[in-house]
Amino acid sequence: MDLLIPVAHALVGKEDLPIPEWLFAWGASLVLIVSFVALTLLWKRPRYEEDGWRPVSAGVSRALVNRVGGFVAGALGAFLLGVVVWAGLQGTEAPDRNLALTFVFVTFWLGVVVASVLFGDVFRAFNPWRAIARAVAGGFRLIAGQAPPPPLRYPERWGRWPAVVGIAGFAWLELVWGQSGFGSVGLTPHTVAIATLAYSAWTFVGMALFGIDRWIERGEAFSVYFNMFSRLAPLEVREGRLGRRRWLAGTVGWAVVPGSVALILLTIGATAFDGAAEGLLQEPIRSTFDGLTDIGVGPLASQRIANSLFFGVTVAIVAGIFWGGIAGMHTVRNVTGTRELGRLFAHSFIPIGLAYLVAHYFSLVVYQEQAQFTYLLSDPLGDGSDYFGTANAGIDYTLIGARATWYVQVGALVVGHVLALVLGHDRALATYSDPQTASRSQYWMLAMMVGFTTLGLFLLSQANQ
Amino acid sequence: MNVLDLLPPLAHVGHWWTYVLYAVPVVIVLGSVVMTLLKERHRDGEGEK
Repeated sequence: MDLLIPVAHALVGKEDLPIPEWLFAWGASLVLIVSFVALTLLWKRPRYEEDGWRPVSAGVSRALVNRVGGFVAGALGAFLLGVVVWAGLQGTEAPDRNLALTFVFVTFWLGVVVASVLFGDVFRAFNPWRAIARAVAGGFRLIAGQAPPPPLRYPERWGRWPAVVGIAGFAWLELVWGQSGFGSVGLTPHTVAIATLAYSAWTFVGMALFGIDRWIERGEAFSVYFNMFSRLAPLEVREGRLGRRRWLAGTVGWAVVPGSVALILLTIGATAFDGAAEGLLQEPIRSTFDGLTDIGVGPLASQRIANSLFFGVTVAIVAGIFWGGIAGMHTVRNVTGTRELGRLFAHSFIPIGLAYLVAHYFSLVVYQEQAQFTYLLSDPLGDGSDYFGTANAGIDYTLIGARATWYVQVGALVVGHVLALVLGHDRALATYSDPQTASRSQYWMLAMMVGFTTLGLFLLSQANQ
Repeated sequence: MNVLDLLPPLAHVGHWWTYVLYAVPVVIVLGSVVMTLLKERHRDGEGEK
Protein backbone atom coordinates (compact mmCIF):
# COMPACT_ATOMS: atom_id res chain seq x y z
CA MET A 1 0.00 0.00 0.00
CA ASP A 2 2.85 2.38 -0.73
CA LEU A 3 0.54 4.10 -3.09
CA LEU A 4 -1.71 5.53 -0.44
CA ILE A 5 0.78 6.71 2.04
CA PRO A 6 4.44 5.99 1.69
CA VAL A 7 5.30 6.46 5.35
CA ALA A 8 2.38 4.45 6.68
CA HIS A 9 4.46 1.49 7.74
CA ALA A 10 6.27 2.88 10.68
CA LEU A 11 9.88 3.65 10.19
CA VAL A 12 11.71 2.29 13.17
CA GLY A 13 15.28 3.37 13.50
CA LYS A 14 17.36 0.68 15.18
CA GLU A 15 18.78 3.28 17.48
CA ASP A 16 15.27 3.86 18.84
CA LEU A 17 14.96 0.37 20.24
CA PRO A 18 16.58 -0.86 23.45
CA ILE A 19 17.70 -4.10 21.79
CA PRO A 20 18.32 -5.06 18.14
CA GLU A 21 15.30 -6.18 16.16
CA TRP A 22 16.59 -9.74 15.69
CA LEU A 23 16.74 -10.12 19.46
CA PHE A 24 12.97 -9.59 19.51
CA ALA A 25 12.68 -12.67 17.28
CA TRP A 26 14.70 -14.65 19.80
CA GLY A 27 12.52 -13.38 22.64
CA ALA A 28 9.32 -14.16 20.74
CA SER A 29 10.59 -17.67 20.05
CA LEU A 30 11.34 -18.11 23.74
CA VAL A 31 7.80 -17.04 24.64
CA LEU A 32 6.46 -19.64 22.20
CA ILE A 33 8.65 -22.40 23.65
CA VAL A 34 7.57 -21.56 27.20
CA SER A 35 3.91 -21.46 26.09
CA PHE A 36 4.31 -24.83 24.41
CA VAL A 37 5.75 -26.38 27.58
CA ALA A 38 3.00 -24.82 29.70
CA LEU A 39 0.30 -26.16 27.38
CA THR A 40 1.82 -29.64 27.45
CA LEU A 41 1.95 -29.68 31.24
CA LEU A 42 -1.30 -27.92 32.10
CA TRP A 43 -3.76 -28.44 29.20
CA LYS A 44 -4.65 -32.12 29.32
CA ARG A 45 -8.08 -32.34 27.71
CA PRO A 46 -9.67 -30.63 24.72
CA ARG A 47 -11.76 -27.58 25.61
CA TYR A 48 -12.65 -26.15 22.23
CA GLU A 49 -14.42 -29.08 20.58
CA GLU A 50 -17.65 -27.66 22.02
CA ASP A 51 -17.96 -23.92 21.51
CA GLY A 52 -20.25 -23.44 24.51
CA TRP A 53 -22.66 -21.20 22.56
CA ARG A 54 -25.49 -19.92 24.74
CA PRO A 55 -28.17 -17.44 23.72
CA VAL A 56 -28.11 -14.06 25.41
CA SER A 57 -31.36 -12.83 26.92
CA ALA A 58 -34.21 -12.54 24.41
CA GLY A 59 -34.52 -8.78 24.96
CA VAL A 60 -30.85 -8.06 24.24
CA SER A 61 -30.94 -10.36 21.22
CA ARG A 62 -34.06 -8.68 19.84
CA ALA A 63 -32.58 -5.23 20.40
CA LEU A 64 -29.44 -6.08 18.42
CA VAL A 65 -30.71 -8.58 15.86
CA ASN A 66 -34.03 -7.62 14.29
CA ARG A 67 -35.59 -6.99 10.90
CA VAL A 68 -35.46 -3.20 11.14
CA GLY A 69 -31.81 -3.21 12.16
CA GLY A 70 -31.01 -5.70 9.38
CA PHE A 71 -32.76 -3.49 6.83
CA VAL A 72 -30.96 -0.34 7.99
CA ALA A 73 -27.57 -2.12 8.01
CA GLY A 74 -28.14 -3.54 4.54
CA ALA A 75 -29.29 -0.16 3.21
CA LEU A 76 -26.20 1.49 4.71
CA GLY A 77 -23.97 -1.16 3.09
CA ALA A 78 -25.62 -0.62 -0.30
CA PHE A 79 -25.31 3.16 0.12
CA LEU A 80 -21.58 2.89 0.88
CA LEU A 81 -21.09 0.62 -2.14
CA GLY A 82 -22.75 3.30 -4.24
CA VAL A 83 -20.55 6.01 -2.70
CA VAL A 84 -17.39 4.06 -3.53
CA VAL A 85 -18.42 3.62 -7.16
CA TRP A 86 -19.57 7.25 -7.41
CA ALA A 87 -16.36 8.61 -5.88
CA GLY A 88 -14.25 6.32 -8.04
CA LEU A 89 -15.96 7.31 -11.27
CA GLN A 90 -16.65 10.98 -10.60
CA GLY A 91 -13.92 12.01 -8.16
CA THR A 92 -10.33 13.07 -8.49
CA GLU A 93 -7.76 10.60 -9.76
CA ALA A 94 -5.43 11.58 -6.91
CA PRO A 95 -5.57 8.40 -4.82
CA ASP A 96 -4.99 10.08 -1.46
CA ARG A 97 -7.76 12.66 -2.00
CA ASN A 98 -10.46 10.26 -3.21
CA LEU A 99 -12.56 8.33 -0.70
CA ALA A 100 -12.71 5.19 -2.84
CA LEU A 101 -9.20 3.84 -2.24
CA THR A 102 -8.94 4.47 1.48
CA PHE A 103 -12.45 3.19 2.06
CA VAL A 104 -11.97 -0.04 0.11
CA PHE A 105 -8.41 -0.92 1.13
CA VAL A 106 -8.35 0.36 4.71
CA THR A 107 -11.78 0.96 6.24
CA PHE A 108 -13.43 -1.99 4.53
CA TRP A 109 -10.61 -4.52 3.99
CA LEU A 110 -8.92 -3.99 7.36
CA GLY A 111 -11.58 -2.30 9.49
CA VAL A 112 -14.19 -5.00 9.00
CA VAL A 113 -11.64 -7.62 10.06
CA VAL A 114 -11.24 -5.84 13.40
CA ALA A 115 -15.03 -5.51 13.79
CA SER A 116 -15.47 -9.19 12.94
CA VAL A 117 -12.95 -10.34 15.53
CA LEU A 118 -14.60 -8.23 18.23
CA PHE A 119 -18.31 -8.51 17.42
CA GLY A 120 -18.72 -11.54 15.18
CA ASP A 121 -19.92 -11.74 11.60
CA VAL A 122 -21.14 -8.14 11.32
CA PHE A 123 -20.45 -7.99 7.60
CA ARG A 124 -23.35 -10.34 6.95
CA ALA A 125 -25.73 -7.59 8.08
CA PHE A 126 -23.96 -4.83 6.15
CA ASN A 127 -23.20 -6.88 3.03
CA PRO A 128 -24.41 -4.65 0.18
CA TRP A 129 -24.69 -7.44 -2.38
CA ARG A 130 -26.81 -9.55 -0.03
CA ALA A 131 -29.04 -6.55 0.75
CA ILE A 132 -29.54 -5.65 -2.91
CA ALA A 133 -30.17 -9.28 -3.92
CA ARG A 134 -32.72 -9.74 -1.15
CA ALA A 135 -34.47 -6.52 -2.17
CA VAL A 136 -34.57 -7.65 -5.80
CA ALA A 137 -35.86 -11.11 -4.83
CA GLY A 138 -38.53 -9.43 -2.66
CA GLY A 139 -39.51 -7.14 -5.54
CA PHE A 140 -39.74 -10.11 -7.89
CA ARG A 141 -42.09 -11.91 -5.50
CA LEU A 142 -44.22 -8.78 -5.18
CA ILE A 143 -44.49 -8.12 -8.90
CA ALA A 144 -44.62 -11.68 -10.23
CA GLY A 145 -46.71 -12.99 -7.36
CA GLN A 146 -44.49 -16.05 -7.11
CA ALA A 147 -41.09 -17.01 -5.72
CA PRO A 148 -38.02 -16.71 -7.99
CA PRO A 149 -37.00 -19.96 -9.67
CA PRO A 150 -35.13 -22.32 -7.32
CA PRO A 151 -31.35 -22.01 -7.49
CA LEU A 152 -28.97 -24.64 -8.84
CA ARG A 153 -27.39 -26.99 -6.36
CA TYR A 154 -24.01 -25.62 -5.28
CA PRO A 155 -21.32 -28.24 -5.96
CA GLU A 156 -19.94 -29.27 -2.55
CA ARG A 157 -16.49 -29.95 -3.99
CA TRP A 158 -16.19 -26.24 -4.84
CA GLY A 159 -16.23 -25.51 -1.13
CA ARG A 160 -14.79 -22.05 -0.51
CA TRP A 161 -12.71 -22.03 -3.70
CA PRO A 162 -14.75 -19.29 -5.46
CA ALA A 163 -14.03 -17.08 -2.46
CA VAL A 164 -10.33 -17.97 -2.62
CA VAL A 165 -10.31 -16.85 -6.26
CA GLY A 166 -12.05 -13.60 -5.28
CA ILE A 167 -9.65 -12.83 -2.43
CA ALA A 168 -6.66 -13.70 -4.62
CA GLY A 169 -8.00 -11.29 -7.25
CA PHE A 170 -8.53 -8.54 -4.67
CA ALA A 171 -5.05 -9.04 -3.20
CA TRP A 172 -3.54 -9.06 -6.69
CA LEU A 173 -5.34 -5.83 -7.56
CA GLU A 174 -3.97 -4.21 -4.42
CA LEU A 175 -0.47 -5.66 -4.29
CA VAL A 176 0.41 -6.21 -7.94
CA TRP A 177 -1.77 -4.04 -10.16
CA GLY A 178 -1.56 -1.06 -7.85
CA GLN A 179 1.77 -1.84 -6.30
CA SER A 180 5.24 -0.76 -6.91
CA GLY A 181 8.06 -1.08 -4.47
CA PHE A 182 9.77 1.28 -6.90
CA GLY A 183 8.46 3.73 -9.49
CA SER A 184 4.84 3.79 -8.35
CA VAL A 185 2.38 2.54 -10.98
CA GLY A 186 -0.82 3.51 -9.38
CA LEU A 187 -4.16 2.02 -8.63
CA THR A 188 -6.55 4.78 -9.57
CA PRO A 189 -9.94 5.38 -7.96
CA HIS A 190 -11.44 4.82 -11.41
CA THR A 191 -9.95 1.31 -11.56
CA VAL A 192 -11.27 0.58 -8.08
CA ALA A 193 -14.77 1.66 -9.14
CA ILE A 194 -14.67 -0.52 -12.27
CA ALA A 195 -13.34 -3.46 -10.26
CA THR A 196 -16.15 -2.94 -7.72
CA LEU A 197 -18.76 -2.99 -10.46
CA ALA A 198 -17.22 -6.08 -12.07
CA TYR A 199 -17.11 -7.89 -8.73
CA SER A 200 -20.72 -6.87 -8.02
CA ALA A 201 -21.82 -8.36 -11.35
CA TRP A 202 -19.92 -11.60 -10.60
CA THR A 203 -21.55 -11.77 -7.15
CA PHE A 204 -25.07 -11.21 -8.46
CA VAL A 205 -24.57 -13.94 -11.07
CA GLY A 206 -23.35 -16.32 -8.34
CA MET A 207 -26.35 -15.49 -6.15
CA ALA A 208 -28.78 -15.87 -9.05
CA LEU A 209 -27.36 -19.27 -9.92
CA PHE A 210 -26.86 -20.80 -6.48
CA GLY A 211 -29.09 -18.80 -4.16
CA ILE A 212 -28.30 -15.73 -2.06
CA ASP A 213 -27.44 -17.45 1.22
CA ARG A 214 -25.47 -20.31 -0.33
CA TRP A 215 -23.30 -17.95 -2.38
CA ILE A 216 -22.76 -15.70 0.66
CA GLU A 217 -21.72 -18.72 2.69
CA ARG A 218 -19.32 -20.23 0.15
CA GLY A 219 -18.63 -18.06 -2.88
CA GLU A 220 -18.81 -14.38 -1.95
CA ALA A 221 -15.17 -13.61 -1.23
CA PHE A 222 -15.56 -10.93 1.43
CA SER A 223 -18.32 -12.73 3.32
CA VAL A 224 -16.16 -15.84 3.53
CA TYR A 225 -13.04 -13.84 4.41
CA PHE A 226 -14.63 -11.79 7.20
CA ASN A 227 -16.54 -14.82 8.46
CA MET A 228 -13.21 -16.60 8.89
CA PHE A 229 -12.03 -13.89 11.29
CA SER A 230 -15.43 -13.70 13.01
CA ARG A 231 -14.85 -17.31 14.13
CA LEU A 232 -12.43 -15.89 16.71
CA ALA A 233 -15.18 -13.70 18.22
CA PRO A 234 -17.25 -14.55 21.28
CA LEU A 235 -20.54 -13.57 19.60
CA GLU A 236 -22.54 -15.41 16.95
CA VAL A 237 -26.10 -15.23 15.63
CA ARG A 238 -27.78 -18.62 15.17
CA GLU A 239 -31.24 -18.85 13.66
CA GLY A 240 -31.86 -15.21 14.39
CA ARG A 241 -30.75 -15.40 18.01
CA LEU A 242 -27.61 -13.72 19.34
CA GLY A 243 -25.47 -15.89 21.58
CA ARG A 244 -22.12 -15.96 23.35
CA ARG A 245 -19.44 -18.56 22.99
CA ARG A 246 -15.83 -18.99 24.06
CA TRP A 247 -13.27 -16.79 22.29
CA LEU A 248 -11.58 -18.73 19.45
CA ALA A 249 -14.03 -21.65 19.76
CA GLY A 250 -15.86 -20.81 16.54
CA THR A 251 -12.75 -21.65 14.53
CA VAL A 252 -12.88 -25.37 15.30
CA GLY A 253 -14.04 -27.32 12.27
CA TRP A 254 -13.97 -24.25 10.04
CA ALA A 255 -11.29 -25.63 7.74
CA VAL A 256 -12.90 -28.95 6.84
CA VAL A 257 -14.67 -27.29 3.89
CA PRO A 258 -12.55 -27.49 0.68
CA GLY A 259 -10.64 -24.31 -0.10
CA SER A 260 -10.40 -23.18 3.53
CA VAL A 261 -6.72 -24.10 3.91
CA ALA A 262 -5.94 -22.18 0.73
CA LEU A 263 -7.83 -19.15 2.05
CA ILE A 264 -5.90 -18.85 5.30
CA LEU A 265 -2.56 -19.52 3.57
CA LEU A 266 -3.39 -16.89 0.96
CA THR A 267 -4.29 -14.42 3.72
CA ILE A 268 -0.93 -14.91 5.42
CA GLY A 269 0.97 -15.06 2.12
CA ALA A 270 -0.56 -11.87 0.74
CA THR A 271 0.35 -9.90 3.87
CA ALA A 272 3.83 -11.43 3.89
CA PHE A 273 4.30 -10.40 0.26
CA ASP A 274 3.19 -6.85 0.98
CA GLY A 275 5.85 -6.66 3.69
CA ALA A 276 8.51 -8.42 1.65
CA ALA A 277 7.94 -6.23 -1.42
CA GLU A 278 8.88 -3.21 0.70
CA GLY A 279 12.14 -4.73 1.85
CA LEU A 280 13.48 -8.21 1.31
CA LEU A 281 12.07 -8.72 -2.20
CA GLN A 282 12.80 -5.23 -3.52
CA GLU A 283 16.04 -6.26 -5.18
CA PRO A 284 14.80 -9.57 -6.66
CA ILE A 285 11.73 -7.81 -8.05
CA ARG A 286 13.91 -5.10 -9.54
CA SER A 287 16.26 -7.68 -11.10
CA THR A 288 13.34 -9.56 -12.63
CA PHE A 289 11.92 -6.27 -13.88
CA ASP A 290 15.27 -5.40 -15.50
CA GLY A 291 15.49 -8.86 -17.07
CA LEU A 292 12.01 -8.54 -18.54
CA THR A 293 12.54 -5.04 -19.91
CA ASP A 294 15.87 -6.21 -21.43
CA ILE A 295 14.02 -8.79 -23.52
CA GLY A 296 11.59 -6.16 -24.74
CA VAL A 297 8.64 -6.41 -22.35
CA GLY A 298 7.13 -2.99 -21.57
CA PRO A 299 7.96 -1.42 -18.19
CA LEU A 300 4.43 -1.58 -16.79
CA ALA A 301 3.93 -5.19 -17.85
CA SER A 302 7.40 -6.09 -16.54
CA GLN A 303 6.60 -4.61 -13.18
CA ARG A 304 3.32 -6.46 -12.93
CA ILE A 305 4.79 -9.75 -14.11
CA ALA A 306 7.67 -9.46 -11.63
CA ASN A 307 5.30 -8.62 -8.76
CA SER A 308 2.92 -11.43 -9.76
CA LEU A 309 5.79 -13.88 -9.80
CA PHE A 310 7.03 -12.99 -6.34
CA PHE A 311 3.49 -12.79 -4.97
CA GLY A 312 3.07 -16.42 -6.08
CA VAL A 313 6.48 -17.36 -4.67
CA THR A 314 5.65 -15.83 -1.26
CA VAL A 315 2.31 -17.64 -1.01
CA ALA A 316 4.08 -20.85 -2.08
CA ILE A 317 6.70 -20.39 0.68
CA VAL A 318 3.98 -19.87 3.29
CA ALA A 319 2.14 -22.95 1.97
CA GLY A 320 5.43 -24.87 2.00
CA ILE A 321 6.04 -24.08 5.68
CA PHE A 322 2.46 -25.12 6.51
CA TRP A 323 2.45 -28.38 4.55
CA GLY A 324 6.00 -29.19 5.72
CA GLY A 325 4.84 -28.91 9.32
CA ILE A 326 1.71 -30.94 8.63
CA ALA A 327 3.81 -33.62 6.89
CA GLY A 328 6.03 -33.72 9.98
CA MET A 329 2.95 -34.04 12.17
CA HIS A 330 1.81 -36.90 9.96
CA THR A 331 4.97 -38.87 10.72
CA VAL A 332 4.18 -38.89 14.45
CA ARG A 333 1.16 -41.14 14.07
CA ASN A 334 -0.74 -42.01 10.96
CA VAL A 335 -4.27 -41.09 12.07
CA THR A 336 -5.39 -39.75 8.71
CA GLY A 337 -4.01 -38.51 5.37
CA THR A 338 -1.80 -35.44 5.20
CA ARG A 339 -4.40 -33.37 3.37
CA GLU A 340 -7.05 -34.25 5.94
CA LEU A 341 -4.62 -33.46 8.75
CA GLY A 342 -4.08 -30.03 7.16
CA ARG A 343 -7.82 -29.42 7.21
CA LEU A 344 -8.03 -30.52 10.84
CA PHE A 345 -5.39 -28.04 11.96
CA ALA A 346 -5.66 -25.11 9.53
CA HIS A 347 -8.11 -23.21 11.77
CA SER A 348 -5.21 -22.73 14.20
CA PHE A 349 -3.70 -20.38 11.63
CA ILE A 350 -6.58 -17.88 11.68
CA PRO A 351 -5.00 -16.00 14.64
CA ILE A 352 -1.75 -15.90 12.65
CA GLY A 353 -3.56 -14.37 9.69
CA LEU A 354 -4.93 -11.75 12.07
CA ALA A 355 -1.53 -11.21 13.70
CA TYR A 356 0.13 -10.64 10.31
CA LEU A 357 -2.59 -8.13 9.37
CA VAL A 358 -2.29 -6.21 12.65
CA ALA A 359 1.51 -6.24 12.56
CA HIS A 360 1.71 -5.06 8.99
CA TYR A 361 -1.16 -2.60 8.75
CA PHE A 362 -1.54 -1.15 12.26
CA SER A 363 0.13 2.15 11.49
CA LEU A 364 -1.60 2.38 8.10
CA VAL A 365 -5.01 2.06 9.76
CA VAL A 366 -4.16 4.58 12.50
CA TYR A 367 -3.05 7.16 9.95
CA GLN A 368 -5.51 6.54 7.13
CA GLU A 369 -8.59 6.35 9.35
CA GLN A 370 -7.85 9.92 10.41
CA ALA A 371 -8.16 10.84 6.74
CA GLN A 372 -11.22 8.64 6.29
CA PHE A 373 -13.20 10.32 9.03
CA THR A 374 -12.07 13.87 8.37
CA TYR A 375 -11.22 15.20 4.92
CA LEU A 376 -12.25 12.16 2.89
CA LEU A 377 -15.64 12.16 4.62
CA SER A 378 -16.17 15.86 3.97
CA ASP A 379 -14.73 15.83 0.49
CA PRO A 380 -15.13 12.27 -0.88
CA LEU A 381 -14.51 13.24 -4.50
CA GLY A 382 -11.59 15.51 -3.75
CA ASP A 383 -13.35 18.32 -5.63
CA GLY A 384 -13.26 20.92 -2.87
CA SER A 385 -16.55 20.04 -1.16
CA ASP A 386 -16.81 20.36 2.61
CA TYR A 387 -19.95 18.50 3.74
CA PHE A 388 -19.03 18.20 7.42
CA GLY A 389 -16.55 21.05 7.85
CA THR A 390 -13.54 18.73 8.16
CA ALA A 391 -12.20 18.99 4.61
CA ASN A 392 -9.11 20.88 5.71
CA ALA A 393 -8.07 18.45 8.43
CA GLY A 394 -4.84 16.51 8.06
CA ILE A 395 -3.22 13.33 9.32
CA ASP A 396 -1.39 13.55 12.62
CA TYR A 397 1.66 11.36 12.08
CA THR A 398 2.79 11.91 15.65
CA LEU A 399 -0.27 10.10 17.02
CA ILE A 400 1.77 6.94 17.53
CA GLY A 401 5.51 6.76 17.65
CA ALA A 402 7.75 4.41 15.72
CA ARG A 403 8.72 2.56 18.86
CA ALA A 404 5.10 2.05 19.95
CA THR A 405 4.28 0.73 16.48
CA TRP A 406 7.12 -1.77 16.67
CA TYR A 407 5.91 -3.00 20.07
CA VAL A 408 2.37 -3.41 18.74
CA GLN A 409 3.78 -5.40 15.81
CA VAL A 410 5.85 -7.67 18.03
CA GLY A 411 2.99 -8.07 20.51
CA ALA A 412 0.50 -8.95 17.77
CA LEU A 413 2.81 -11.57 16.29
CA VAL A 414 3.58 -13.16 19.65
CA VAL A 415 -0.04 -13.24 20.86
CA GLY A 416 -1.31 -14.51 17.49
CA HIS A 417 1.17 -17.37 17.43
CA VAL A 418 0.57 -18.32 21.07
CA LEU A 419 -3.17 -18.50 20.30
CA ALA A 420 -2.36 -20.69 17.30
CA LEU A 421 -0.39 -22.99 19.59
CA VAL A 422 -3.39 -23.16 21.94
CA LEU A 423 -5.79 -24.07 19.13
CA GLY A 424 -3.36 -26.59 17.64
CA HIS A 425 -2.72 -28.20 21.02
CA ASP A 426 -6.43 -28.44 21.76
CA ARG A 427 -7.16 -29.99 18.36
CA ALA A 428 -4.27 -32.44 18.82
CA LEU A 429 -5.75 -33.63 22.13
CA ALA A 430 -9.01 -34.32 20.31
CA THR A 431 -7.32 -35.96 17.32
CA TYR A 432 -4.76 -38.23 18.95
CA SER A 433 -5.60 -40.99 21.38
CA ASP A 434 -3.24 -39.96 24.16
CA PRO A 435 -1.83 -36.63 25.39
CA GLN A 436 1.76 -37.78 24.82
CA THR A 437 1.23 -38.36 21.09
CA ALA A 438 -0.73 -35.11 20.90
CA SER A 439 2.24 -33.24 22.37
CA ARG A 440 4.64 -34.96 20.02
CA SER A 441 2.55 -33.90 17.03
CA GLN A 442 2.69 -30.36 18.30
CA TYR A 443 6.47 -30.24 18.24
CA TRP A 444 5.93 -29.56 14.55
CA MET A 445 3.34 -26.93 15.31
CA LEU A 446 5.88 -25.22 17.58
CA ALA A 447 8.46 -25.30 14.78
CA MET A 448 5.93 -23.75 12.39
CA MET A 449 5.01 -21.06 14.93
CA VAL A 450 8.63 -20.11 15.52
CA GLY A 451 9.10 -20.07 11.73
CA PHE A 452 6.14 -17.81 11.08
CA THR A 453 6.96 -15.48 14.00
CA THR A 454 10.55 -14.97 12.97
CA LEU A 455 9.51 -14.63 9.31
CA GLY A 456 6.99 -11.95 10.30
CA LEU A 457 9.51 -10.02 12.41
CA PHE A 458 12.20 -10.46 9.77
CA LEU A 459 9.96 -9.02 7.06
CA LEU A 460 8.96 -6.10 9.27
CA SER A 461 12.55 -5.36 10.18
CA GLN A 462 13.57 -5.45 6.51
CA ALA A 463 10.69 -3.16 5.57
CA ASN A 464 11.86 -0.77 8.26
CA GLN A 465 15.42 -0.55 6.94
CA MET B 1 22.02 1.43 29.28
CA ASN B 2 21.40 0.51 25.68
CA VAL B 3 21.97 -3.19 25.07
CA LEU B 4 23.46 -2.29 21.69
CA ASP B 5 26.40 -0.84 23.60
CA LEU B 6 27.07 -4.26 25.02
CA LEU B 7 27.01 -5.93 21.60
CA PRO B 8 29.26 -3.87 19.37
CA PRO B 9 30.44 -6.76 17.19
CA LEU B 10 26.90 -7.97 16.51
CA ALA B 11 25.42 -4.51 16.20
CA HIS B 12 27.79 -3.50 13.44
CA VAL B 13 28.33 -6.65 11.44
CA GLY B 14 26.22 -5.34 8.63
CA HIS B 15 22.92 -5.95 6.97
CA TRP B 16 23.28 -9.50 5.68
CA TRP B 17 24.50 -11.04 8.91
CA THR B 18 21.23 -10.24 10.62
CA TYR B 19 19.54 -12.72 8.29
CA VAL B 20 21.49 -15.49 10.02
CA LEU B 21 20.54 -14.17 13.43
CA TYR B 22 16.84 -14.38 12.54
CA ALA B 23 17.31 -17.98 11.42
CA VAL B 24 18.93 -19.08 14.69
CA PRO B 25 15.72 -19.76 16.70
CA VAL B 26 14.16 -21.62 13.76
CA VAL B 27 17.22 -23.83 13.32
CA ILE B 28 17.43 -24.55 17.07
CA VAL B 29 13.74 -25.44 17.40
CA LEU B 30 13.61 -27.45 14.17
CA GLY B 31 16.79 -29.33 15.13
CA SER B 32 15.42 -30.01 18.61
CA VAL B 33 12.13 -31.29 17.18
CA VAL B 34 13.86 -33.70 14.81
CA MET B 35 16.32 -34.90 17.46
CA THR B 36 13.59 -35.37 20.07
CA LEU B 37 11.31 -37.29 17.72
CA LEU B 38 14.17 -39.52 16.52
CA LYS B 39 15.17 -40.22 20.12
CA GLU B 40 11.58 -40.99 21.12
CA ARG B 41 11.09 -43.23 18.10
CA HIS B 42 14.27 -45.10 18.97
CA ARG B 43 13.13 -45.48 22.57
CA ASP B 44 9.68 -46.69 21.48
CA GLY B 45 11.35 -49.24 19.16
CA GLU B 46 13.48 -50.54 22.01
CA GLY B 47 10.43 -50.76 24.26
CA GLU B 48 8.61 -52.93 21.73
CA LYS B 49 11.57 -55.34 21.59
